[in-house]
Amino acid sequence: MKPPAFDYQEPRTLDEIVELLARTDQDATVLAGGQSLVPLLNLRLARPDVVVDINRVPGLDGVEVADDAVVLGAMARLATLERDPVLADALPIVPEAIRLVAHPQIRNRTTLGGSLCHADPAAELPAVAVALDARLHLRARDGGRTEEAAGFFQSVFTTSRRPEELLTAVEFPRHQGFRFCFEEVSRRHGDFPFVGLCFGVRLEDGVVTAARLAGAGIAERPLRLPAAEAALVGHRLSGDLAEVLDAASAEVDPPSDIHGTASFRRGLLRAVIRRAAARLDQGGSR
Amino acid sequence: MTIATRNGDTLVGKRMPRLHDDRMLRGHGRYVDDIDETGVLHAAIIRSPAAHGTITRFDASAARESGEAVLVLGPDEIGRLTDPLPTTWRIPGQHLAAVELAIRTVRYVGQPLGVVVARNRAVAEDLAELVEIDIDPLPAVVGIEAALAPDAPLLYPEHGGNVAGGIHFGPPVEELDALFAGAAHVVEREFAVQRINPSPMEPRGVLAEWIPSTEQLTVWASTQVPHLVRQEVAVGLRLRVDQVRVVTPDVGGAFGGKTTLYADEAMTCLAAKVLGRRVKWIEDRTENLTASYQGRGQQARCRLGLDADGRFTALHVHIHGDVGAFLSTAGSGPFQVAALTIEGPYRFGAAGATVTAVFTNAVPTGAYRGYGMQESAWIRERIIDEAARELGRDANELRLLNTIQPEQMPYTTGTMLTYDSGDYPAVLRRAVEMGETRRRPSTDRIRRGIAVTGNVEITGFAPSALLEMFQIHWSGYETGTIRVNEDGTVTVFSGVTPMGQGIETALAQIVADELGVPLEMISVQLGDTATAPYSNFSSQASRSLPLAGAALITAGATMRERMLGLAARALGVGVEEVKLDGTVFRAGTTGAEVTWRDVAHRGWMGWGRGETDKILLEETVSFDPPGITYAYSAHGAAVAVDLDTGKVTVEDYWTVNDSGVLVNPLIADGQIIGAIAQGLGTALLEEAAFDPETGQPLATSYLDYVLPLSEDVPDIVIEHHVTPSPIITGGFKGVGESGIQPPAATVGNAIANAVPEIAAGLTATPLSPSRIWTLLEQAGLEG
Ligand SMILES: Cc1cc2nc3c(=O)[nH]c(=O)nc-3n(C[C@H](O)[C@H](O)[C@H](O)COP(=O)(O)OP(=O)(O)OC[C@H]3O[C@@H](n4cnc5c(N)ncnc54)[C@H](O)[C@@H]3O)c2cc1C
Repeated sequence: MKPPAFDYQEPRTLDEIVELLARTDQDATVLAGGQSLVPLLNLRLARPDVVVDINRVPGLDGVEVADDAVVLGAMARLATLERDPVLADALPIVPEAIRLVAHPQIRNRTTLGGSLCHADPAAELPAVAVALDARLHLRARDGGRTEEAAGFFQSVFTTSRRPEELLTAVEFPRHQGFRFCFEEVSRRHGDFPFVGLCFGVRLEDGVVTAARLAGAGIAERPLRLPAAEAALVGHRLSGDLAEVLDAASAEVDPPSDIHGTASFRRGLLRAVIRRAAARLDQGGSR
Repeated sequence: MTIATRNGDTLVGKRMPRLHDDRMLRGHGRYVDDIDETGVLHAAIIRSPAAHGTITRFDASAARESGEAVLVLGPDEIGRLTDPLPTTWRIPGQHLAAVELAIRTVRYVGQPLGVVVARNRAVAEDLAELVEIDIDPLPAVVGIEAALAPDAPLLYPEHGGNVAGGIHFGPPVEELDALFAGAAHVVEREFAVQRINPSPMEPRGVLAEWIPSTEQLTVWASTQVPHLVRQEVAVGLRLRVDQVRVVTPDVGGAFGGKTTLYADEAMTCLAAKVLGRRVKWIEDRTENLTASYQGRGQQARCRLGLDADGRFTALHVHIHGDVGAFLSTAGSGPFQVAALTIEGPYRFGAAGATVTAVFTNAVPTGAYRGYGMQESAWIRERIIDEAARELGRDANELRLLNTIQPEQMPYTTGTMLTYDSGDYPAVLRRAVEMGETRRRPSTDRIRRGIAVTGNVEITGFAPSALLEMFQIHWSGYETGTIRVNEDGTVTVFSGVTPMGQGIETALAQIVADELGVPLEMISVQLGDTATAPYSNFSSQASRSLPLAGAALITAGATMRERMLGLAARALGVGVEEVKLDGTVFRAGTTGAEVTWRDVAHRGWMGWGRGETDKILLEETVSFDPPGITYAYSAHGAAVAVDLDTGKVTVEDYWTVNDSGVLVNPLIADGQIIGAIAQGLGTALLEEAAFDPETGQPLATSYLDYVLPLSEDVPDIVIEHHVTPSPIITGGFKGVGESGIQPPAATVGNAIANAVPEIAAGLTATPLSPSRIWTLLEQAGLEG
């Protein structure tokens, strides 16, 4: 379990990174926290010609809070974001979801960008990004672009990021009036969940006026649940949610694997919707 | 029995940390991979990517021509240079009595086909990828049912079927059938236990060095059985056993997975011999999860007959054991032990057990902590629970009604095991009592339940006469040597081996007590065939402490007498006048003194001895007991079942255990706690799964092979009963496997207690959220 030989580059600036990624004579892979990439290298499932270690480039780990959005640097470590008081105030759903990712030692290294670019379909943060309609800032040598989270995540470990692009930052809109929470069912604490759910609602007099739901572990990518969202509108969180649960069940086609069958995952989706609704009904996160 | 009668501050019975704890906790363990790298070459193993097929081409030319390969050996070369490894424990009908090292027929994914040696492991792995292998695929046989299907593809067409062999214990099935026909009530269930990976923290590994000039092979191996490895290496490589020395450095856990030489290890030794160099192979985690022999893997149909009062009139189990691609060293042994131990602590009018061993296209199964007795506990305790439910009776009352009473000891079971001693009802009653304070209320969506189970286990697997009867080629006895060195220090040797369990400490405690010298004077040196007494059975089957401990008690007592005699002569007094006080011998009458060290020195000089006294200050005793000694226990669990998610939380766990005289209760507790944690893994989490079509292993990393973490294991409450074994000097019984056997059954029954609606479906482990949720859904209980 040793990686095949690769070249190792340690750029010091953003320009150097995108320059290295732009080279067409070699297949380059970005090394962020390494918590997924290094095992993949050792298992010989990733075989880049060059590993571009971006850990020494300053300025990629910022936390910027504006009125309408929070912009987080791709290299921000989950352990840092988890404890950032400004973030906790401005966008508490992010630290809440982070606490469900892996274990403290792994969160010390794991980066926000790594978690999103790795695009594990059961991962928590991609689901948060999708629920909040986050915008991903991508940079290449020849310019930058912004991609909507909904379009970014395409399939298992597959995103719309082009090989020469670096994810530099993620912009999370602050959905005024919404409250969010994250509910999941995992086998052991710290595991990727069987099913996770980022659940957000706007309430007026206790009645849902708008909802944002995105699930993890229920498809090949994090998935918005528009039918369930629509069914929630007009309901009270403490009321009968049967319609919402049925809508959610009907709009997903979860995978079966050694950890669970499709109908099990469907059942868990209903469970996490009920739990999330109950929590937000009691207060919950913002 | 010196131990039990000695009063005052004996070391035996003392709860003390293991002597190596400090070194281990500071990271100063020295494992195979820590041995000096000078001149070491690294091996990578070429493995089959397919579950079943025939190799039509094995082309290593690209690897050989790369200029990087020091050596590449394929199946043909290996076949020419080696002999197959003889197996230890066979089953009637078994057609292969030896394990081939490399062949052109592949029967499981991960089967070793060849070896590449290079200057480092990464390069060796690069080269292994360059080897081109064409395999003519054959349909894969995955799982027991598929293997027994009428049109199943055959692993060994020449053998004519996928049944590897079979055996029956106890009265004939027809006799049992008649009893079932006359029973007031018969419960019948089909139970299954998944395949388990033993998961030692340190995977397997060997470093082999062949010195061409002296023609000596030294093998540093992470193993439980250095003498068996020596025996197998010698046969495999066509050497005399005295040309091979096997040394075990620190071993980071084994759990049964290191009880034989594996083909990949033998290939590494072969590479060293071919090259005349030092060659190392360290198993990586993927290899460990796919190519190390697995445990468990069986299906069993069980019938329990009861009379109108609830007395057990008959029991029969038919176990189908998945042996995998071939019968490994111990082969069907675990399934045979499951059959032999099916009765546990209960009386039956009659009981019998049948074993059918079945080939499948999966890595072979073999020893795993618990060795069949986890399976028998699961089957027996679950079916008793089911019987109680069907009869509307309290399960523990039913258990106690049928439990073997202390005055019935020694008690011979239907499968002809003779239990030596113990108060089985006492531990059951106590565990039931402990459960009473641990019952917690259910809530709307969380159901809670508790259960208690009983168990009896084979420990100290011996004697040699029994093994001879079954033609099991393991040394049933165990040997201990005590050498008082010229400087008075004491070195202890035995054929058993340490793997983190603390056996060195326990043996040192015994020897210090017997000699009457401080613990610091004792050094227990194990695991080197150049110095250890012969034992090819060594440390497995919960035998190290009872058997080696017993041998050392006798050796120690003799050595103490000899030292007293030498001291008396040095002091010029009668031996009855001499007392050992710390490290000084004192003559009662004269007050004259001589130190233990001086006496040792005089001994080695050959001074002061009688004409017929032997000089060598060394005592060696082999202990071969008259029978097996049986430990027993009761276990209790309190669980919470989440009806929304199928998740089971073990909220409380307790056990009342009798492993006879405990040398070091701290070690005993550690063994029980660790084993219960592993048992909870089997109960709820772990599964070495295979793709049903292709036979590809699906749990190839710890992402998918799910072990219990500390949060998954509650604080475990342990109470000890001590019934000294009447047949083991010192009164010891084994403890290493006690904890792992009952947890699956106990947790299963506690779930049944919490959610009786799904009880009948609780027949297979792991009781994973997905499995429980599916049962809840069938019962209409899910959200
Ligand atoms: C035991 C364990 C448990 C875990 N449990 C969870 C869990 O419960 N939930 C969960 O979500 N995750 C879990 N993870 C995954 C962990 O969070 C990953 O490390 C993470 O998904 C990847 O982040 P990283 O910073 O380590 O990225 P790396 O491993 O460095 O990179 C991952 C991939 O993203 C690419 N990449 C990284 N950064 C960028 C960038 N800025 N631009 C372009 N490409 C980039 C890399 O090239 C690579 O392909 C677990 C990991 C472990 C080891």
